Amino acid sequence: MSMSRSKRDRSIPRRPLLWLAAALLFTLPPMFRSLAIWVPCLFLLALAMKFWMEPRGYRLRFAIFKLMLAAVAVLIIFASYNSLKGIEPAVSLLVVLISLKVLEAHTAREFQVMVLMGWVICLCGFFLSQDFAAALCLLSAFALLLVALIQFHRAASPGALWPPLRTACKLLAQAAPLIVLLFVLFPRIGTGFRFEFRDLRAAGTGFSDRLSPGSIASLANSSDIAFRAEFPGSNTRPIGPMYWRGAVMWHCDGMEWRVPYAPASISRAPNQSPSGITIQQRITLAPHGARWMFALDRPFETPQGAMLVRGDYIRSVQPIRKTRRYEVVSSPEVTRNDLTPYERKEALELPASISPAVRELAQSWVAQNSNSRAIINSALQFFRTQGFRYSLSPGEYKKDDLEQFLFHRRVGFCEHYAASFGTLMRLAGIPARVVVGYLGGEYNDLGDFFLVRQADTHAWCEVWLPESGWTRVDPTNIVAPGRASLDLNSFLEGRIASGQMEPRRSAFLARLARSAIFTNIRLAWETLNYQWDTRLLGFDADVQDVFLSSIGIANHGPYFLIVEVLAIAVVMLVIYFGWMQLRTRSRVNPVKVLYERFCRKIARLGAQRHPWEGPSDFSMRAAQLLPHESERIQQISNTYISLRYAPEPDAIMLDTFAKEVSAFGR
Amino acid sequence: MKAKRLPLVYPTASFAGLLFVLGTMWYAASSQNSPAVYLLLFALTAVFLVSIPHTLINLAGVRVALESAQPAFAGQEVSLPVEISNSSRATRHGIELALSGSNRDRERIDYIPADKAARMTLRFPARRRGEHEIGALRLTSVYPLGFIRVSKKFASAQTYIVYPKPEGDLQLPSNGTSIPRNSLQAEIGEGDDFAGVRAYVSGESQRHIDWKAVARGQPLMTKQFAAEREGFVHLDFSALRFANVEERLSQLALWVIEAERARRPYGLRLPGTEIRPAVGQVHFHQCLRALSLFQVGMPGSA
Repeated sequence: MSMSRSKRDRSIPRRPLLWLAAALLFTLPPMFRSLAIWVPCLFLLALAMKFWMEPRGYRLRFAIFKLMLAAVAVLIIFASYNSLKGIEPAVSLLVVLISLKVLEAHTAREFQVMVLMGWVICLCGFFLSQDFAAALCLLSAFALLLVALIQFHRAASPGALWPPLRTACKLLAQAAPLIVLLFVLFPRIGTGFRFEFRDLRAAGTGFSDRLSPGSIASLANSSDIAFRAEFPGSNTRPIGPMYWRGAVMWHCDGMEWRVPYAPASISRAPNQSPSGITIQQRITLAPHGARWMFALDRPFETPQGAMLVRGDYIRSVQPIRKTRRYEVVSSPEVTRNDLTPYERKEALELPASISPAVRELAQSWVAQNSNSRAIINSALQFFRTQGFRYSLSPGEYKKDDLEQFLFHRRVGFCEHYAASFGTLMRLAGIPARVVVGYLGGEYNDLGDFFLVRQADTHAWCEVWLPESGWTRVDPTNIVAPGRASLDLNSFLEGRIASGQMEPRRSAFLARLARSAIFTNIRLAWETLNYQWDTRLLGFDADVQDVFLSSIGIANHGPYFLIVEVLAIAVVMLVIYFGWMQLRTRSRVNPVKVLYERFCRKIARLGAQRHPWEGPSDFSMRAAQLLPHESERIQQISNTYISLRYAPEPDAIMLDTFAKEVSAFGR
Repeated sequence: MKAKRLPLVYPTASFAGLLFVLGTMWYAASSQNSPAVYLLLFALTAVFLVSIPHTLINLAGVRVALESAQPAFAGQEVSLPVEISNSSRATRHGIELALSGSNRDRERIDYIPADKAARMTLRFPARRRGEHEIGALRLTSVYPLGFIRVSKKFASAQTYIVYPKPEGDLQLPSNGTSIPRNSLQAEIGEGDDFAGVRAYVSGESQRHIDWKAVARGQPLMTKQFAAEREGFVHLDFSALRFANVEERLSQLALWVIEAERARRPYGLRLPGTEIRPAVGQVHFHQCLRALSLFQVGMPGSA
């Protein structure tokens, strides 16, 4: 009940400021991940300064000083990004300006502005990252800002921790159905304007159109998610190793292979549809800014917005800038199609720079064997017997280092084996191409999906055999048996455990990572991630359209839909109001009700009680006005006074009182 | 008092800020077709919408009871003691009270527990002498989020008195004569010898308040000094030579205070009214009240 007037407007109260700081700390992780490091540091510094300045009454006073600080900040941002365009500099600028505002704000009224700015920072955070961890941080920040605002308006009310938190939880719980309603039904009207972000993940991990030595090995430590795959028909899970086809490389340059500059789209003739089993996959692809799409070896039905390209892989028509979900059908059986003369020429093309020793090796296989299969087996035999090793850090190779690799160092990762094998096949006169994609994937039995990481990137070969068409040959399997049936991490851990490989982390951490409880937590976390990516991030305007027509309200038109949603919202608010009214309405006091009834009765007889009159004074006056009722009036008043002011109401007395009142005036 | 009508709901200044933030989020979400930003936008919208019934309910069961305001001199502040009671079963937060029409002098109570009451004093400037109606009071609240203000109007027929502003240059007339002279009489109550204390009369100088006694928790007392005289004085409106009625009334009010402070019996003569000489609180306020209500509403008066 404390009053606070004059103090409120001179300084920002401490308790809400603490909540605000807690909220803003939650907005930091996405910033640290994508902004120049000094930006979140400055933000932290401003927060700390505020806590130091506020109790001492220090503040930034001069407008010219503030302007200078802002100008310096803009200059530093320009210096560290070389541009003010794009999302990172824009967010940095906003964060820096908000830091200044935090330093500058000093009246209570500005607190509301600070909270609004906090919500804008949450918005910026979503520009930087939308994965589940970032969203969790940002939504926590959103909720904590709410708590800060409530605490600010509670002012000196008792309770600094739980009561404002409880009010915020109540608000959020009541808002939850409304959020779902708005999210699902509110029409996503486009504004027409679009601001394009610069490619967030331009230098990101993953795929490129070039397979050079070391390009895949460098991804082996990346835990970034490439995509997740579900198999909607549970009986059609692949039996063998999962080769996810991403791109086919035709252009050979020794140790380096490349995708054609303009992959030609092909259409499959209807009679070529596979006769055997088909596997349906639902894939949720993380955005990568390019057009790669993946499907199990080999896709034959293309999803929407994608095309089937020569080499039997799918490719998106538009660059994939946000999470994309698609369904694709593959058939593990190889369909035989003829090799055109042009393709045969392309699949045998070789660079001039190949050394004589390598040519000799290939020629020796051709001389020893009569058919293609035997040549392939000799080549694989070569890799198996000549002491080749599988390693994450094979050292550096250049594209002309084929001889180095094959005869001297003999250490490589999958891309080295695929590239050299492909080149050797071409030297031996067998049409060959290199396929890149992913191999394996970790099964999550909680969410029933496979998670494929960037670390699972893989390259393998396909050779043309007259009797079976393009046939997969994976030379890595010879050097690292077992890799094909596992994802890379599990495979490496298995090797480390058996002592075949140097551990990458300390033994304790590795053991911890393998422990059951840790694995379960990790799987649960990945399931949540997957749900967030598919259920929430997947629910964009197009999906909403499909959903609305599936429940039969798509044709209502956006404005009608808005009216409908608002009407439901209003009804909900009225229900909330009524419910709260019911819960907090004052208790009915039976004694008071009875006395009021008595007063109404006596007023009809001519004695009106004045609002300021106590029951005792009134009974005396009423007794004078109505002398023949004076005894009963006195009696009722005495009972009323003793009932009303007794520490504990007596049930028998109340009963008597009720009888007296009802008997009065008859 | 019961509220007159249904509560009013209107946006506060920070609502504009909220709209701006929501607009920014909406633009960002729709131009990027980003469900995550839509989620943030809808979360903020929904929380704001849900806060409206919370703000509305925050005034349910809250009543205002006015006590009588102490009279004040024009130019000073009127203090109006108010009791705000909460008859609901929930604690009410951030209740603000203001006179209808003035947003500045808003008094705030941070919380009132269930079935409890809180007292506060509403202060507002006393501008003109006379009897004024309090009119309407506004009970408002922005709790919990501050984007919406709910306002309930309570009408009151209660009045308060504002006495004329005590000021003037003339000395208190010395005795029964009604014409003030430039006597050599010393300032009353300004002598050197301490003669005891008496209750403080509102409006008089604070120089002689016994602050040490106040510090001990005793009520306000004025120290008296032995230069005070006997003999009564007639304070006569028509004997004053100012043209302006208000100036005369101010001079008379000052004299009433000075005479009361000197414990010197004083009478008041106004056209149409005469108050016999006496001293004491009742007489003091009777005289000031007569001055305050003199010719109020007549042409030529303030």
